[in-house]
Amino acid sequence: MVPPPGSAVTLPPIGHCYGMADDPRFDERQVALAKASPEAFGPLYDRYFADVFRFVLRRAGDRELTADITQQCFLKALLSLSRYQDRGLPFRAWLFRIALNELRMHWRKRREVVIDLDYQRVRGLGEELELNPDPDEMQRLAAALSHLDEARAQLIQLRFMDGMSYLEVGQVLGIGEDAAKMRTHRALAVLRAYLSKRA
Amino acid sequence: MKHRYRITPQGSGPEPTDAEILRYRDKGRLLYNYQRARDLLHRRPIYRDPKAFFALLLIVLLAWLLSEGLLEGPHPDSGGSPVPEQSPPAPGQ
Repeated sequence: MVPPPGSAVTLPPIGHCYGMADDPRFDERQVALAKASPEAFGPLYDRYFADVFRFVLRRAGDRELTADITQQCFLKALLSLSRYQDRGLPFRAWLFRIALNELRMHWRKRREVVIDLDYQRVRGLGEELELNPDPDEMQRLAAALSHLDEARAQLIQLRFMDGMSYLEVGQVLGIGEDAAKMRTHRALAVLRAYLSKRA
Repeated sequence: MKHRYRITPQGSGPEPTDAEILRYRDKGRLLYNYQRARDLLHRRPIYRDPKAFFALLLIVLLAWLLSEGLLEGPHPDSGGSPVPEQSPPAPGQ
């Protein structure tokens, strides 16, 4: 839709791209176009920028740092777009995978990374583990999460804090849906064991 | 690298709104960085450029000749004044 002459031009809302909402093959077509011309990457960038930004922000905490990592993530995606093939891996999951790698690269020289979460973010996990949303229980949950190894903590984050389905978790981590489900249940079992020891 | 989780009522602060996130979206910068990265990736190495290759070769050759000349020093038969040999002192002197 072209705005009428003389009217104020406004930016399209985040995630909006003309005609994409009703087109399930939008990403596939746009990726094919962007492989030939990088300018065609714009609609994909507009569509997923906010999703990737929020995904990174939940881990990085700082907005400026998040903006840099998000930008770097899209740059990496654009540079390696020729290698992307839509074999059941949605473009969004591919972007999240790149974002996780970028975060890991950013943190690689640190001895410890602190991840801040609010009660709302861990509500689903708290319910799963039958914990009350009070400070003591949340302290115990934080200690239990910190006790997990990186791979398990990542599964828990993707499933309960990013609210992804097992299929999406598997797509981001490059494993099958069943494997994602099984590993998440194992991670939950480790959390329960840790929490029961310190009850 | 160890991950430590901290759970507080406010977390790391309120979630940014769409308008706040929009401020960080910069398609121009992305395409500029992409062009720069591509130029760097596809830059022809210096040894592939014939002129630069011969210039490098000349520099290496000159450096080699100079180092050879300096390390060997003057040849004994080249007419330079020979260093007199010192005979060991006779016994009893």
